[in-house]
Amino acid sequence: MRRIICIGNRYAAQDAAGPAVYDHLRRLQLPAGLELIDGGLAGLDLLRYLEDAELVVFVDSVSGFGAPNTVLILAEEEVAVLASSRYDHSAGLAYLLRILPEVCEGVLPQVRLIGIEGDPDQAAIGEAATLALKIAGGSGYANRPSEAVRPVAAD
Amino acid sequence: MSQKITLNVPLNRVEGDLEVRAEVEDGVVTNAWCSGTMYRGIENALIGRGALDGLVITPRICGICSTGHLIAAARALEMIAQVEPPPDALRARNVALMVEHVQSDVRQSFLTFSADFAVPAYRNRPMFEEAVRRYEPFKGDTAIEVIRETKHLIEIIAILGGQWPHSSFVVPGGIVSIPTVADLLQCQLLLRQFRHWYERRVLGCAIERWLDVRNAGELDAWLEEREAHYTSDLGFFIRFAQAIGLDKVGRGHGAFLSYGSFDLPAETRAGAPTAGARLIPAGFARGLQVHAFDQSKVAEHVAHSWYVDYDGGRHPFDGETQPWGPGVPQQKYSWGKAPRYDGLAAETGPLAEMIIAGNPLYIGLISRGGPSAFVRQLARLTRPCTLIPAMETWLGEASKGGKYYASPGEIIDGEGFGLMEVTRGALGHWVRVQDGTIRHYQIITPTAWNASPRDRNGVRGPMEEALVGACISDVSNPVELGHIVRSFDPCLVCTVHTVRRGQTLGNVAVGAP
Repeated sequence: MRRIICIGNRYAAQDAAGPAVYDHLRRLQLPAGLELIDGGLAGLDLLRYLEDAELVVFVDSVSGFGAPNTVLILAEEEVAVLASSRYDHSAGLAYLLRILPEVCEGVLPQVRLIGIEGDPDQAAIGEAATLALKIAGGSGYANRPSEAVRPVAAD
Repeated sequence: MSQKITLNVPLNRVEGDLEVRAEVEDGVVTNAWCSGTMYRGIENALIGRGALDGLVITPRICGICSTGHLIAAARALEMIAQVEPPPDALRARNVALMVEHVQSDVRQSFLTFSADFAVPAYRNRPMFEEAVRRYEPFKGDTAIEVIRETKHLIEIIAILGGQWPHSSFVVPGGIVSIPTVADLLQCQLLLRQFRHWYERRVLGCAIERWLDVRNAGELDAWLEEREAHYTSDLGFFIRFAQAIGLDKVGRGHGAFLSYGSFDLPAETRAGAPTAGARLIPAGFARGLQVHAFDQSKVAEHVAHSWYVDYDGGRHPFDGETQPWGPGVPQQKYSWGKAPRYDGLAAETGPLAEMIIAGNPLYIGLISRGGPSAFVRQLARLTRPCTLIPAMETWLGEASKGGKYYASPGEIIDGEGFGLMEVTRGALGHWVRVQDGTIRHYQIITPTAWNASPRDRNGVRGPMEEALVGACISDVSNPVELGHIVRSFDPCLVCTVHTVRRGQTLGNVAVGAP
């Protein structure tokens, strides 16, 4: 099983990119064996979706990685190191990925994050959706290091 | 000569949008301020939308208590529609809500609160090495087990609610996902597995044995009764927390509020089947004197909040949320309003529930030493003992092919409220609907009560008051204040989880006030 998990809060503009990509992808015919999840605010409770997957592509808003509208690919370890050492109500994807090797009851999945900076436009959302499909489909992106694929300067 | 300094307590390690400032004189906190630093605007966003939209939008207020908000929104609409969900719908709702309570109680206790026992400030304590072995983030034995065990609990909501995350199975009149016999059996299995782990690892005894502990003396005896009690995580919490003096700090106002929770089905073995009865009773207590709860006595003040001023406090049906920055310099300091009950600041949460329910152990502990960070956290850590048996009862009582929905008809005009206990305490939704559209919506969350700023009369909120009097051993690392604040399990916001590069763990600024 491969999964694309879009996370964020559609009612908070700075965190709405993941749900926007989810809305984009849900209109498409996904290939067999690929599941699309609206991960919302679940954080650590998404753990169960990682334990029976070979590859998980997260899509989420990021901050501090580039100009608004930038779409990036981040490796699991690049995100995990950003985790606070403490579980709290802000514990999100970084905490989940940091703890994953310690608590995973299945085979560790390969994990990538597609990060989207700022309050992105529709072009960036579409680009992130296409990228998610390519990675989840095994196009080779999964093994590439962190990389900005659509840097667009802020207005 | 006395030294007076101000500490900006590093609580962005607790919640990114809560800041606590404390004035310290000669090592003792003499004043404190809790500040919510982000305006949400959820209430205003609901105005003008369809009557049912609160069912979708308000659960996004919180990533941990989404089921609580969902049920509160539904209850408010059920009051307007004058519809009562069928008994099996109440059972399913209650069990799902209890899952949120139990999961959060255990995670908060051992991933957040007890993680503070494993910080370098306690490295010279005899129990420090054991605390690190149990609670060190990402490595501690207990920390790892807690994540492994609690992840399964949420599957119960997925089964009863048809999906997870973002279950929207609760609607006015009941629920829309009808569990099969296999579903109910699966839920029972998941709960049974969790109970076994909770009893073995957390309690060191059966839930029923813990519920037999009925006063402070029996608590001391229970700890020494068996090695399993002494070495359990509950036993360790009791020993460590008392060793560092958490039973002597964090007193607060000594006023407690519970809205009551878990509506009892018409026929159930879980409680007395009286009309409108709830498993967790509603009430207000000053000290240990419990009074009947009257929702008309709830009001919110904004004198010290960044909202347009009005006189005194306003009941939520008359309340307004008009952001306004300036005000009198230094007077306004929080985006949180100041809820008051009958004009009084009151704390809410598991300890308040225990006191208002007349739980003999907590009555005894309060009688012996007063409210404290220790008693407050103990109530949270052991609350699953009062919930799990009821969950088992209701999962067993829910019937195959039962009735789970009663049509409320169209919700056109009226006003209603949904009041209940969620994980961190009293949650209220007040809604007014006109011509099928939301005209007014006010929400008071548990942390609005606990982390309240001062009110019109300048009275501190419960958490602010609890900090006053605390002794700080090292102003560069005021761990004592962190324990007190975390004993309230504050949740100002948990809805924006953006991955941030360069996120800091917080800092402490020491300087002139």
